[in-house]
Amino acid sequence: MSDEQIKLIEKAVANALAGDMDAINDIEDRVTRSKAKAALVKAKRLAKATTPAEDPSNTDELKVGDSAPTEKSLSEKVAACLNEKFPNSLEAEDVNGHIQMKGKNWFKIAQYLRDNPDFLFDSLQCVTGYDFGEGEDLEVRYNLHSMTHNHTIEIRIKTDRNNPKVPSVEQVWRIGDWFERETFDMYGIEFEGHSNMIRILCPEDWEGWPLRKDYETQETYHGIVVPKVKDGWE
Amino acid sequence: MGVVHGDLMTLNIGPQHPSTHGVLRLKVKTDGEIISEVEPIIGYLHRCFEKHCENVTYEQVIPYTDRCDYIAAMNNNFGYAVTVEELMEIKVPERVEYIRVIVAELNRIASHLLALGAYGLDVGAFTPFLYMFRDRERILDLFETLCGARLLYNYIWVGGVSHDLPPGFIGAVYSFLDYFEPKIEEYNELLTYNKIFIERTGDVGVMPPEVAVSYGVTGPNLRGSGVKWDIRKDEPYSIYDKFDFDIPVGAGEMGTVGDCWDRYYVRMVEMKESVKITRQALKGIPAGDVHQALPKKIRPPQGSIYKRTESPRGDLAYYIVSDGSPIPYRLKMRSPAFTALSVLSEISQGWMMSDVLAILGSLDIVLGEIDR
Repeated sequence: MSDEQIKLIEKAVANALAGDMDAINDIEDRVTRSKAKAALVKAKRLAKATTPAEDPSNTDELKVGDSAPTEKSLSEKVAACLNEKFPNSLEAEDVNGHIQMKGKNWFKIAQYLRDNPDFLFDSLQCVTGYDFGEGEDLEVRYNLHSMTHNHTIEIRIKTDRNNPKVPSVEQVWRIGDWFERETFDMYGIEFEGHSNMIRILCPEDWEGWPLRKDYETQETYHGIVVPKVKDGWE
Repeated sequence: MGVVHGDLMTLNIGPQHPSTHGVLRLKVKTDGEIISEVEPIIGYLHRCFEKHCENVTYEQVIPYTDRCDYIAAMNNNFGYAVTVEELMEIKVPERVEYIRVIVAELNRIASHLLALGAYGLDVGAFTPFLYMFRDRERILDLFETLCGARLLYNYIWVGGVSHDLPPGFIGAVYSFLDYFEPKIEEYNELLTYNKIFIERTGDVGVMPPEVAVSYGVTGPNLRGSGVKWDIRKDEPYSIYDKFDFDIPVGAGEMGTVGDCWDRYYVRMVEMKESVKITRQALKGIPAGDVHQALPKKIRPPQGSIYKRTESPRGDLAYYIVSDGSPIPYRLKMRSPAFTALSVLSEISQGWMMSDVLAILGSLDIVLGEIDR
């Protein structure tokens, strides 16, 4: 490695530690970039070892971009409240912009979140399916919003890839009906208690779950050859 | 005497039908002329938007967003750009923000003109449609001088816009607004207060506010039910907090709060508010370079974001998960028309066959966005 490269990496890592990840991402040369990334991880580990006071933004966990201080405290408030009311329902104690929950009591918790006067999450904004990658778990992410208090939280529920099941909240928020059907359609996650768990966007007899990372398109559909997607889009 | 129930008859409307606003099939169960159940069947226009996004770079997603809601493509570009910018923490120049607001509000007017004109068609008034299309055409002409495209613009980019305003654009918008504002009164005389139109829409398809909220209905449809909720005001993005405008809500002037007429009228008044915003933006637009903040590479840091913006149809949100590469790991679009269509079954029960089409039209759906 030339001196110039070392200097470049040092500068980029210093910038990245200050929060500017672009400094590393902007390095043109691929090898230098990856070296800079490795140096960054090392620097972070060192910083953690020397200063026991943890900075939450340094964790390698996926971080929520929208982390206004008020919102964060709301997530924590909700998590603390749920911990008290429904013990053992949270997957992780620490709240990092979202609440990681177990699926078990989700229906009751959803009702509680909707009706509790402190939270009043009367609107289910969005339901997003998520795939951690081939062979890994699936996840459902709920974005809740309160019309009265004008605040939002995100709730995530992990589920097993081979037998993905999450309780349905169709009866709590009526839009859950279509959102859950869409998630089922794309990820094959079954929502227990849903009154009409069928595909919504794809044809009923379509095979496979399109948005899973290991999805392979079926070869023919009713005698029509499904065109293969070539590697590397232009 | 009890109520006499006949056998239910199943009737198919669509997928190809002028009043379904696209390729939508309605499976209607009727008892004589009275509707007992409507099941919308969607997916005829499904183009795997979200799957495509996982295979193209962040820049390449923008033309796809155009094609989701093809009536208000500027607003779709806008929402996407704002979301990615927040994820990358890009601050765009002031001039870009003003240009974006101007084109987004013009596009909102164009979208509402189409919605209102087509709604007139749905309930049997042909003439207003022609008047509204005449004026919508002027907005499309403005956009053509702006970026060369009339419907699918690819104009608002992450970190900026594709072209600066062409010479004379601001003057042209001013003269359009001067021309357009009195026309709203003309539409009112022509359609809004027409007796037949009121008979067809007033008190029909009432959507109570709690039903609307539970179904996730947003935008003019929600405001028609009397709920004062607009992201431009309640959770301002871009520079909407700088402008002075009102949020019109339904008041039940021609029947009950939340009927078809209210949803229609909210859109009509909203056009006035858009004119107001556009005028303020034209007045305050600063000079500057629109390409200054364009990132060389769009490679957001690891993380996820859920960001909402106000499209003419309601809360348009993008949920983006980035793994630090130039290609989105997961991109979900929360489409306002999707939620609006889901409420159709609930609010059209008990109405006549012809009312279902009036209710469907009042929800102002765009199938491209529902099926994605």
